[in-house]
Amino acid sequence: MAVVGVDTGGTFTDVICWTDDGFAVVKLPSSPDNPARAVLSGLARLPVPARRVMHGSTVATNALLERRGAVTAFVTNQGFEDIIAIGRQNRPELYDLASRKEPCLVPEALRFGAPGRVSAEGKVVEELSAEAIGDLVARVAASGARSVAVCLLFSFLKPEHELLLGEALAEAGLSVSLSSDILAEFREYERAATTVANAYVAPVMAGYLGDLAAGLPEGTELCVMQSSGGLIRAETAWREPVRTVLSGPAGGVVAALAMGKAAGFDRLITFDMGGTSTDVSLLDGALSMAAETELAGLPIKTPMLDIHTVGAGGGSLARLDVGGALVVGPESAGADPGPACYGKGDGLTVTDANLFLGRLSPDHFLGGQMPLFPERLPELFTALGAAGGMTAVEAAEGVIAVAEAAMERAIRVISVERGHDPADFALLSYGGAGGLHAVALARLLGVKTVVVPRHPGLFSALGMLFADIVRDFSETVMAASDKTDLIEVAGLFGNLETRARQVMAEEAPGARMVLERQLDMRYQGQSHELPIRFVADPFLAFHNRHEAVFGFKHPKAVIEIVTLRIRARVITDKPQFTEAERLVAGVPAEAMLGWRPLVWQGAEQAAMWYDRDKLLPGNTLSGPALVAETSATTFLPPGVAAEVDGFGNLVINVDGGRAATA
Amino acid sequence: MNITPITLEVFKNKFASVAEEMGVALTRTAYSPNIKERRDFSCAVFDSGGDMIAQAAHIPVHLGSMPLSVRAAIDAIDLGPGDMAMLNDPFRGGTHLPDITLVAPVHAGGDAPLFYVACRAHHADVGGMAAGSMPLSTSIFQEGLVIPPVKIVAEGEIVQGVMDLFLANVRTPQERQGDFAAQIMANRTGIARLTELAAAYGRERLAAMGAALLDYAERLMQAAIEAIPDGTYEAADSLDNDGAGTNDPTLRLTLTVEGGRAELDFSRSDPQTPGCINAVRAIVVSATLYVFRALAGQAVPANAGCLRPIDITTKPGTLVDARFPAAVAGGNVETSQRLVDVILLALSQALPDRVPAASQGTMNNLAMGGVDPRNGKPFTYYETLAGGAGADAAGPGQSAVHSHMTNTLNTPVEALEYAYPLRVTRYALRQGSGGPGRHAGGEGLVREIEALGPMEATVLSDRRLRGPWGLAGGGEGAAGVNVVTRRTGGMAMPGKFHVRLRAGDRLCIETPGGGGWGTPS
Repeated sequence: MAVVGVDTGGTFTDVICWTDDGFAVVKLPSSPDNPARAVLSGLARLPVPARRVMHGSTVATNALLERRGAVTAFVTNQGFEDIIAIGRQNRPELYDLASRKEPCLVPEALRFGAPGRVSAEGKVVEELSAEAIGDLVARVAASGARSVAVCLLFSFLKPEHELLLGEALAEAGLSVSLSSDILAEFREYERAATTVANAYVAPVMAGYLGDLAAGLPEGTELCVMQSSGGLIRAETAWREPVRTVLSGPAGGVVAALAMGKAAGFDRLITFDMGGTSTDVSLLDGALSMAAETELAGLPIKTPMLDIHTVGAGGGSLARLDVGGALVVGPESAGADPGPACYGKGDGLTVTDANLFLGRLSPDHFLGGQMPLFPERLPELFTALGAAGGMTAVEAAEGVIAVAEAAMERAIRVISVERGHDPADFALLSYGGAGGLHAVALARLLGVKTVVVPRHPGLFSALGMLFADIVRDFSETVMAASDKTDLIEVAGLFGNLETRARQVMAEEAPGARMVLERQLDMRYQGQSHELPIRFVADPFLAFHNRHEAVFGFKHPKAVIEIVTLRIRARVITDKPQFTEAERLVAGVPAEAMLGWRPLVWQGAEQAAMWYDRDKLLPGNTLSGPALVAETSATTFLPPGVAAEVDGFGNLVINVDGGRAATA
Repeated sequence: MNITPITLEVFKNKFASVAEEMGVALTRTAYSPNIKERRDFSCAVFDSGGDMIAQAAHIPVHLGSMPLSVRAAIDAIDLGPGDMAMLNDPFRGGTHLPDITLVAPVHAGGDAPLFYVACRAHHADVGGMAAGSMPLSTSIFQEGLVIPPVKIVAEGEIVQGVMDLFLANVRTPQERQGDFAAQIMANRTGIARLTELAAAYGRERLAAMGAALLDYAERLMQAAIEAIPDGTYEAADSLDNDGAGTNDPTLRLTLTVEGGRAELDFSRSDPQTPGCINAVRAIVVSATLYVFRALAGQAVPANAGCLRPIDITTKPGTLVDARFPAAVAGGNVETSQRLVDVILLALSQALPDRVPAASQGTMNNLAMGGVDPRNGKPFTYYETLAGGAGADAAGPGQSAVHSHMTNTLNTPVEALEYAYPLRVTRYALRQGSGGPGRHAGGEGLVREIEALGPMEATVLSDRRLRGPWGLAGGGEGAAGVNVVTRRTGGMAMPGKFHVRLRAGDRLCIETPGGGGWGTPS
């Protein structure tokens, strides 16, 4: 019996299976019209049947991005129907006279107001009558909506009105999402938007997971990865799909944490470079969480990993602007026409620059199965260079330098801007294109070590196997320190804990779970909260943390406990990475693919190409060299040294000398 | 120093990320909702002469005016390593009093400053006659504490006497103190980052790259101006009134475009007025830079090079070049919007397919304050409301968005009701307010707030008498409406007013719709 991780990407569906005998992998083309087809045929190719399938799914993400969700109604207090369209009043671009917000997911005719009002103190100041409920349900039912999001003001303090409306709407046959279930936290727009996103994708997700479950053998457990890096059962995922919008990228980050812990790299920056974009995140011994993300113009506030994305990837297009600067991206050549070397379009990309400079090889690109046309490139790079007073080589090296500057900036966002020095971290590179740029990026950031794991193209699927079952619960309470003593603070968690235990009894019956408690606190008058782990005196902990983060504290000021959080975690059985003994023997002859020309800093030299699959633990390499495998290529520039560690990772010492494997 | 297409792009990224990292540090550590939640602030990097090299994508109204603050600070004070100057004096580098700028030199190991960094933030109160420091004033002295360039940080330590003097003059000192700490942190972030870059690339080389970026922006701006047909274009537009008895204060512009240069002459504008809508010249520079940068496209770095192909003429003593001791609280927020309108109106004659109709043309400033009956503590609430954007040849205008010179976020209803003795009773799109046209203007919005205790309210708004203009045959957007409702009934209020509210009174603001574009079919 086996546990299986599955990651559905735009191009490939990756399946990775763990049994007592080790790992088995399957990579097959995705089936975008019905992603379940590729998943099921991938599972069918496994040597043993799956006991539990853990799935990274882009179904919710794509339904939002492509606006293919259900016709969705929005129900809120009378007089506030438009809050979902008004948002926070800001416009997306400052200096663009023609910029426009993305249209609201809920058109005007599908926004409904109900009587009834709760005050900031949680008191009902206007009643919601049974007649009013009946009238509203009739209007929503007649509107043609299939799904409905309900978000009433202060429902996190008093959810009764939402519950009444929800019950009546469900009886009328609608798929219902209540804001007090999805995100019981203050700030009405973010709560409403998250609830609307959920309602919009819920029918799509239910359909997809229904198809998938129907195709699995009886008794197979199906779990879905959440944006938080924790798994939930399929039944939960189709009710609360908004929790899965970063499902795929979360898998890679979870894998990075697991691999880092096994191989001795606790502090990692993950770098996942694909065709059109690059995802980066930071791991300081644990997963980093973000407060919110934005998708399809909507803020999504469920717990999620802090993953930052920039529009620079292998397919990013290069051009010279009218001011004479070389610009790369955010426009991308996509899969069609693709980079100029695919033979269809003339647009030069980062991939073309790598090929032109000898850092990719037509023989090894995607296992040699993708025909490339390098002969087109000299003329195109000569033309690009001539326009800017550069040689063809300068232009190609420039395209790479500019793309790397954009990625450097992305990594600064998740490190320097969060108060970390990248030099204290190792860079873990995965995804198809990351290995070509990882060393250069490390140098720009002062990072000393780069780690490229085995099967970098399957890393997200691998991560599914290392996730716990996790559910997050939150509730805004607004308790002030001048009116709440420490015993009452502990008591505040009571309700939330009861709810957590009830839900987890269904999510993972009989399993042993850990509850992690956290309080979001601030000084009265502030508008931002600081997360504090629950301890005996959280007020004291807050003062100290405020001083540590912001440089000062106000010991006499009133503190507000804004939101309580509980994370319930069921620790799953996970695969163990086994460390092989490192051999002192040299690189096997069959791992050496031969010398090929490489251009480095304007000059041509020869670089050895290695076959990653044939390298052995303990093998050491030095740059200039390239390491090829089916899904990726890694570039070792002159002056760097690398070693294959006992886990098969390629560990690169950026400063040269012997690689600092752990 | 070799400047290539590659180094240009790479260093454009580097300087921009310095300004952005300063902004992140400021947002992360700021204390007050106005800075933290509404993001009413800007951060920028300047060369040793005070020319701006990079500004993060913050508030446009700060864009052209920050360099004047930096120059005023350099002229007044000899800033050594670890020193910072503070100022808000509109007649010495500021714009209006709530915007306080902190300027710091970056020596990067040298004897003289290699760069300067500055950050400007809108403080929710700087004293003066009304809570929120955005009063219907008739002189600068009523608007709050005037701060000429003074040293606020000396060799790394806060100058406590100056800080205490300031804190003694404002309504919410604890909040101010927290926001200053954040501004100091932002500048220190910029200093550290630039020092690091100077060490990595060399002082001279880094300075040369800064200069090259100004040349680069100049080339882009020149290309954008070359795309405007040569000619002379005239436009005039008025505010409703100055809130102190002067009607139709008018801005007049003669725009001349010739051979890749633009000349904007505002000297025929009306004289400065007794009311608070006077703008200092810095605001004209900001509005001009905003419009031309928006025309030139996103990629142009916001720096002093953008201004090189542009000449701006103003006449001292007019509405757009006010002299001491004019009242200026509203010039930054209201007249700045009308300046954009008048520049766009002139450009619409040259570029009919690119220029949108007028957007709401006001920020609908609302300040409320008093004592919270729930806890007996004083409170001040300030925010600005979005409205309709103008339509253009490409499509309808956006509804309920902040336009042109501001882009602050709203205060969530739940945050507002929790923090203040207020209840929002309506927050909606103002249906039918967008100007008619082939493409309709965007809708304004309606925000109605009930006072739950006695308090005062000040509204500073415009486009209450005439709606924002349409273009190419499109109609005007609806003018804004302000109403106070008491038990005895509703009262229509002017665009600028101060009122005492009792518990149960409601203040309703309906913001203007955007102008329409094209003759309606």
